[in-house]
Amino acid sequence: MSSWYTDKDNRNFSVLSTRIRLARNLGGMPFPYKMTDADREELKTKVKNAVKNSNSPLISTLKYIDMADVPDTKIKAMVERHVISPEFATFKNSAIILSEDESISIMVGEEDHIRIQVVLAGLQLENAYEIAEQVDRLLNDSLEFAYDSELGFLTECPTNLGTGLRASVMMHLPLLESTRKLNSLCENIAKIGFTVRGIYGEGSKSSASLYQISNQITLGISEKNAIDNLTLIATQLTEKEIQTEDEIDRISLEDKIFRALGILQNCRILTSAEMMNLLSLINLGLRMGIIKEDYEPVRLLIDAKPYMLMDKYGDLTPDERDVKRAEYVREHLKPTM
Amino acid sequence: MLCEKCGKYHATTHIRTVVNGVAKEQNLCDYCAAGEGLNVTPKSIFASMFGEMLELKPQNMKRCHVCNSSFNDIAKSGKAGCSECYKTFKAELLPYLKRVHGSTHHIGKTPENKDSINELKTELKRLVHEEKYEQAAVLRDKIKEMEADSRE
Repeated sequence: MSSWYTDKDNRNFSVLSTRIRLARNLGGMPFPYKMTDADREELKTKVKNAVKNSNSPLISTLKYIDMADVPDTKIKAMVERHVISPEFATFKNSAIILSEDESISIMVGEEDHIRIQVVLAGLQLENAYEIAEQVDRLLNDSLEFAYDSELGFLTECPTNLGTGLRASVMMHLPLLESTRKLNSLCENIAKIGFTVRGIYGEGSKSSASLYQISNQITLGISEKNAIDNLTLIATQLTEKEIQTEDEIDRISLEDKIFRALGILQNCRILTSAEMMNLLSLINLGLRMGIIKEDYEPVRLLIDAKPYMLMDKYGDLTPDERDVKRAEYVREHLKPTM
Repeated sequence: MLCEKCGKYHATTHIRTVVNGVAKEQNLCDYCAAGEGLNVTPKSIFASMFGEMLELKPQNMKRCHVCNSSFNDIAKSGKAGCSECYKTFKAELLPYLKRVHGSTHHIGKTPENKDSINELKTELKRLVHEEKYEQAAVLRDKIKEMEADSRE
């Protein structure tokens, strides 16, 4: 099985990825921001043993990694391919339990004691939740989670109380964005307890028309409800994005897309920002059938990020990276003729 | 836009400060923002909003017996110190949870262990009440074992 960004079988040009996160904590131990080094060691040992002693079939693919043993470049590359959260990269004395294909990651000592994360390609919320639920059960077999019959699973931040579930999808919505339809849609989505944000965070302009949609509420909404609602939102946004194709000037869009392809196939220096904007057009071209070749823009987008490049090719200055990135992208977008 | 500090990453955090009428803007990436102690991800914005919603009550001296957090600590940080804090400060927190989530009652999955242990404890009480001590002793040991397992 391949990572979410290389998985062609479940590829979806509108819903690029699906993520499920479950927040869990152990009783009788302070939450991470109040933990001492000794507490963190104890936590790591407990979770490590819980996985080691489990008889779940899942464990054959899981590997325990102490983050202290992972070089900085590798950690940042993990953030870039969405294996760990940017916050987790900043925590000291933490550990991760990772599946071979990196679809499952159990972050130990993040904002909560345990964060179970499952990332899959395309729109697969139910599948992802099912896997996360199995991991949850595996851990729960030997660990007692902090739980209150009224408030549900107890979390460091009260905004995650209840299910501790954050379900999210990463969507590519270039046409809804350029026709300014997204804003009013976001307002409606917010009314039912979901938020849409540019992939680079709230308040910042989204880069490459990428948006993350996730549930905001965790208390008083069941896991199934949150997942069903988000699946519905993602499906409807996809439909609306495709409907918008009829409203745009096709020839000028085709022109833009082929110019983008031309640049990517011939450039010698490529910054991260330029690459993202051009690959966004390639992804749209593939979705609309304007580009027929079997390109993988999302794979390139992740593989050619700064630390991903350095993880592969060794230390590079920003200028050297831009040259290497151009080389890498050219190689993968070779004209088929 | 790239981060003004490291120049490597997209700036995701835009900080605007006004000191004595002079506005200053800074654009940092996630890593540099976190390094400055300014982890202004959407989640932490929400968390700090939550903190602001809670009123500081200087007269309330109650503290959590596990982590020693006061209600003011939770209000300031927007974070509970440990799971016991929710028991200690439930009454104070409920109105705010209602405002954030629109509800104060969990619907959904429950942990398996805990439920089964609790069920067994109820059963144990019943056996003791019915003076079935031999059966109760067996069950008591089983519960102890389960609790020890979950603590290991």
